[in-house]
This record gives sequence, C-alpha cells and structure tokens, in this order.
Amino acid sequence: MSTKATTLNSKKSVGALVKDWMSLVGIAILIVVFSIISYVKFGAQYFLTWSNWKNILLQSSTVAIVALGQSIMLLTGNFDLSLGRMVCLTSCVGAILMKNVGMSTGLAILIMFAIGLAVGAVNGFMVSYVGVPAMIATLGTQYICYGLAKLLTQAVPIANMPDSISFLGRDYIFGGVFPVCVLLMIIVYAIAQFVTSKTRVGRNLYAVGGSREAAFFSGINVKAYQFGTFLLGSVLATFGGLVLMSRLNSVAVTNGQNYEFDAVIGSIIGGVSLAGGKGRVIGTMFGCIFLNTLFNGFSQMGVDPFVQDVLKGVVLVLAVTLDVASNKKKS
Amino acid sequence: MDNNYILTLKNITKEFPGVKALDDVTINIERGTIHGLVGENGAGKSTLIKVLAGIYQPNKGEIILDGKPCRFNSPIEARRAGISVVHQEIKLAEPLSVAENMFLGNVQLKNGLVDWKGMRRRAWEIVEDLGMDIDINAQVSSLTVAKKQIVEIMHAINNNSRILIMDEPSAVLTDRELEVMFRIVKQLRDKGITIIYISHRLDEIFGLCSNVSVLRDGCHIDTIPVASVDRQGLINMMVGREMGQEYPKEVGNVGGTILEVKNLSRGILQDISFEVKSGEVFGISGLVGAGRTELARAILGIDKPESGEVYVRGKKVHYRTFADAIRDGLGLIPEDRKLQGLVQIMSVKRNTTLVNMKRVLRAGVISSSLEEKLSKEYADKLHVVTPSMETEVQYLSGGNQQKVVIAKWLFQNSEILFLDEPTRGIDVGAKAEIYRLINRMAKEGKTIIMISSEMPELLGMCDRIMVMHEGHKMGELNAAEATQEKIMALCS
Repeated sequence: MSTKATTLNSKKSVGALVKDWMSLVGIAILIVVFSIISYVKFGAQYFLTWSNWKNILLQSSTVAIVALGQSIMLLTGNFDLSLGRMVCLTSCVGAILMKNVGMSTGLAILIMFAIGLAVGAVNGFMVSYVGVPAMIATLGTQYICYGLAKLLTQAVPIANMPDSISFLGRDYIFGGVFPVCVLLMIIVYAIAQFVTSKTRVGRNLYAVGGSREAAFFSGINVKAYQFGTFLLGSVLATFGGLVLMSRLNSVAVTNGQNYEFDAVIGSIIGGVSLAGGKGRVIGTMFGCIFLNTLFNGFSQMGVDPFVQDVLKGVVLVLAVTLDVASNKKKS
Repeated sequence: MDNNYILTLKNITKEFPGVKALDDVTINIERGTIHGLVGENGAGKSTLIKVLAGIYQPNKGEIILDGKPCRFNSPIEARRAGISVVHQEIKLAEPLSVAENMFLGNVQLKNGLVDWKGMRRRAWEIVEDLGMDIDINAQVSSLTVAKKQIVEIMHAINNNSRILIMDEPSAVLTDRELEVMFRIVKQLRDKGITIIYISHRLDEIFGLCSNVSVLRDGCHIDTIPVASVDRQGLINMMVGREMGQEYPKEVGNVGGTILEVKNLSRGILQDISFEVKSGEVFGISGLVGAGRTELARAILGIDKPESGEVYVRGKKVHYRTFADAIRDGLGLIPEDRKLQGLVQIMSVKRNTTLVNMKRVLRAGVISSSLEEKLSKEYADKLHVVTPSMETEVQYLSGGNQQKVVIAKWLFQNSEILFLDEPTRGIDVGAKAEIYRLINRMAKEGKTIIMISSEMPELLGMCDRIMVMHEGHKMGELNAAEATQEKIMALCS
C-alpha cells in the first residue's frame, strides 16, 4: 500500500543501527561489564588488557575464517554443516603428509586444498544441481569427513607441526605484538566485505539469497552462484584448518569440532539473516569475537567451562529471536 | 432496523501510525445480493475486508450484523458469526485432499474421533450441489488454479457462512474458468448467501453485482446500483478525476522484422511460427495452459526448444541460458511479479540496476552515487511512488512494483521485451500508466510481446494478436479486424 510506505522513514533510526551492529554493541557492553567486574572482584584490571585481548582475538581468528564461508552461504540462503569436519579432515591429511610421509609443506598444503575443494564441490553439486536439501547433503559429507579423519589418524593426535607453517598461527608482527592469524582474519574479511558490498558478484549473491526465482529472471546463473559459495566455504575451511594446525601446533580429530555451528551463531549475531539476502559479512567477524569475549570473560569470572555450551545456546536463541522478531515487525 | 440489510458498516475508521486507512466509512449491504467493492490499490479495500474478517479491529465505528452490533476480536469470531473470506492468494494445504481442505479448521468429530466418512459425504454433497467436476479425494496440489479457487470457496461456504467476501477471485482465472466461477457465485446468492465481491475487472462488477461501493483514499465515495452508472463513470469515481481513454493506444515506430520464430516445438508447444516487427506491440492470447509462457521461455533460452528456429535481427540464435538472451537485447517481465519479477527484500534502487549492473560500475566497483542517480532517473521517468530509492520493494503497491520491474528492463535497454500478464492485479490508474509506457517503448522502436488473459487489454493495446490453444497457434489477427468473439472462436 503506497500510503503505508510513505510513512516509513528512509533514514535509519538509532534502533535500526543498533540492530545492524548488534555484535559491536554487544562487545562494547561485555567490555564494560567484565572490566568493572574484574576491578571489583580482583581489585585490578585483568580483562581489559592487551594480553587478554590477544587471546580473545587469537581464539576468534580460526573460527572466524571458517565462519566467513558460512555467512556467505547464509547470505545466499544455504548453509554447510560439513565445514567443521572439513577443517578436521584437511588438517589431519596435512599433518600426515608433512609429518609421517615427509612431503614438502607446499605440496601438502596444495593437497589439503584439493581435498577441501573436492568436498565443497560434492556439497555444491548436490545442493545446487541435484537439489538435495543443504542440510542432508552437508550432514552426509560431515560424517564422511569425520570418518575419514579418524580412519587416517586412528584418532591419535599428531604434534609438532613443521616450522615452515608456524608463522601462520604462532608468529607476531608489528613489533612482535600483533598475531599473524588475526591479521589474516582481518584481511579475508576486508576482501569479502568489499566484494559483497561493492561488486557485481556480491550484489548477485544478495539477489540469489533474496529470491532465487527473481535472481534467475534477472539473468543471474543462480546454480553457479550457489555452487561457488560451497567451493568458497570449503577453501576457507581448509585455510582455517591450516591456521588452526599452526596455532595449536598439533592436529587432532577434535579440531574444528562444532565450527559450523559456531559459525552460524557468529553470523547471526553479526546480523546475517537466516532467511538469506540480508546482512553484512563483516558482522560475522564481530559476532565470532563477541562469542569469544563472552567465554573469556566468564572463564575469568571462574564460571564452570561446561556452562559455556549452555550460554552458547542461550545466545543463539536470543539472536535468532531478535532477528525473527524484527523481520516480523516489518512485514 | 431495516431488515433489508444483512450487514451495516457504521462510521468505520481504522488508523495505522500516520495513515488513516479507513475514514468514517458507512456502507449498507443488502441481504442476498452480490455487492461489488471497487477502488484503486491503497483505497482501503483490503483494510475493510480485514476489519470485517476480524483481522483488524476498527478504531471507531461499529459492524451491525443482522441488526445486532458485533465486534470481532479475531478471525475465528468473524467466522463463527458467519463471515468468511476467500483471499486473493490461495491458502490451501496442498498435500491434503479436497475434502480435507474443505474441513480445515472445522474438523467434524464422531465419538471423539475424526469422522472421515461423514466429512467426505458432506464434501461430496457440496461438490454435487454446485455441479462441479472435482474429485473430493484428489490431492489439492494436483488441481488447476481455477479448481483450487473453487475449493477455497467450498471451504468458506462449508462453514455455514452467511456472508462470503471474495477478494479478487478472478485475478488468476481465464475467461472460461471465470464463467464457471460466476455461475457458482450466482448459485450461492440464490441460496441466500450475501457476497461481497472485490475486483479490478469492472466487467465482472457490471455482470454480477446489483450494488457497488466505491472507496477512494480510505473514504467511502458512494454506494449505488450498478444499473445507474456506466463503466467510465465508475472509473471516474474510483480515481476521482476524468480518466480519459482506458486503452490509450498509439501506433509505434514500426520497422522491419526483428524476431522470427519458425516451427518451434517444445513440451506442449507444437510447430509455432510467427514474426514480429520492431516497434510493434504483438499480443499473445489464449487460456491459461495454452503455452504462452512456455513459448516465451523457449524463445528466451530458459527452456531448450526441441525443434525449430529463432531468428533475431535476421540472425539465427541459440540461447543456452536466459543470460544469453538478455545480452542479445531480449527481456522478460515475468507473470509473477512478487516472486519472479523482484527481489522483495531489496531496495527499489538495487532492483532497478540488477540486470544491468555494468552501467553503475566504475573500474569494476559499484558506484553508489551513480547507482542512486541513474536508478532515480528511471523511477522518476516511470512515476514510481516510493518514499525513497532505499525502500524495499515489498512495501510498494502492486502497480508501483510492476513499474519497478519495467524500470529494470528499461534500464537494461532491452530491444525485445516480453510482458507476461503485465497488469494482473493492478488498479485502473496504474494500468493506464503501464499502457502509456508500452506506447512510449513502441515509439522508441522497442518491440513488445504482450501475453495477457485480459482480452480487452490485448484488443486495446496490440497491433497484432496471435491466438494459442493447447500449444498450437490457432491464428493471427490484425488490430483492425480483431474482436473478442473472433479470439474466442480461435481459442476453443
């Protein structure tokens, strides 16, 4: 109704801005709350220190890199449950090749990416060309990846990664204070944010997520775009796996466990709509940092680590409720 | 209390933040009649229906049903009082059977268990009573749109409705299906059910209704017997000004043949051949299911033709995808504006530039200022009414949404444009604007191929009309010789 539309204000209200940048607002609130608690409880500031924040960012970096792929898939109306186990499989294969086979690091990394891409291609093919629901297709590959990783390693952790990859996860730059992997996270997000907001490819991704049919009738190759996002997701998962094996300096079948769900939670807190077609990918990075800030703060407070999963669930449900409620209000 | 009136709306006012959707509306509805309700989009028809159906509660005024004031706090209360609505969009449970759908929300019990036998018998009685050829055990998803609509109506009357509100039931029906529905509507009236009938198609108002109420900008303009007004008069009441001609046909800038289709076959399409000249408005008529949309899809590379050839500008083409056809200067305004035409959650600006983003790129990067400027130009040119270019198209009226779809293809500068049901569900004012746009495009030498189920529209706007039936081309008529009867004779 045109009369109704004219009453909608085109300028963004404060409320809308807060909703758009929910993750940043959340981080700010956590900082204030935890710094005060730290001061009250310990009489000194342990929370708002660079060494603590280095930790938060370090822990966020690998999951955030994987979450980027997930949030781009969410943008196009898909998701990938196999991402976490892809992290696991590719890093296990990498470790075996580097450590047990003695292959050169470069070639081993190449093979890691080839395996990741193969899994992504299977997911993408099944979902976009065959029409298997994303949930089923990627649940299947999730088990395949996990099973293969256990088979190959016999579930025995592999420690001490080659020095040639240590810079990815364990080195610091800018005078030895800033972790390389955090910089890597920022770089991939900066590129992704630019591409999704400023290029034709990015706009088409939003169109595909907004309405596959309308995108198709605008001449966009919807299937290729969907396929592409699965490939991208697998590349980022492999990259995340590589950084993770370097950061932990070891590989185990638990690597990357639940990353796909943490990625969804991070994306939604970051403002990417579950329904597709809306949100900014950069928000996902802040969403992942928000989660790690929350857990870091609670550990400092001495909260039982097992409570963390409960909290994660609460945060997810709250974020989705907000997302759904705000969409409902509009329509 | 005048017993002639089954329903009286008295001084109904409904306000939304910042908008008076209904302003002091008073309408009397006579018992056992078909009462028309007309007005442009945004006139308040939908709000009025929602007030009657208990979806909205009025801020002021009262509803008097059978002499008793009532207040409906929910749709269930309205239904209990005997008011049912057949909505514009079909809302049936597709995987369930016809009989099951007829008892949705009204399941009959026997000894505490669902009485399937009784419900099926009752469903069968209703179907028989209406003289319909519908299998009550058929799955609803297997029915045609027309039959689904009839299931909706049966669902409504199965509720022992005394008042049936029909919101543009004809929007998706072809002329022949309409006849069946009209017959049913008249039967229901003869059974004593009062019907409130909303339609943009004025022929139906004149053919069915005894009285008609006109709404404009939330106000009740008048309620009059249809016999006391003519078509033009009714249109003038709706828009509040002299409308001028309904179909303002002007001759385009006609040149040589630009599109030629030879012996095209695919699916139901059998051996279709035709030619279209540049600057021509070429109509394709036929019933739903005649293969009109399929023909457009086969030409545009969406579906692959099984045999036959397509020539564009004299050159044989093989479009492998729709994108190929777009690059070659073809375009399609699809039949389902909401789902296919626009990304509803995207802004007016972004929808406008979606097909031809190249025009807003600077060194490969989207230039926001350029995009804003260019899309605004097109929105202004097409008189798109929108609060801003950033408004999501889902908040625009149907007519304005369709203008954005057209803007999108003008922005792409397509030479040959297929329009599939371009004015479906759009009010008279916006329709006339779309017709003028078609004229303007033809004047600029663009070729328009218009698929429509509304014969008057094709007769009024096209240079030539091709008639299709069950995938075959039945004939071609020049504007000068074409009449509704001739088209009907060809498509049956």
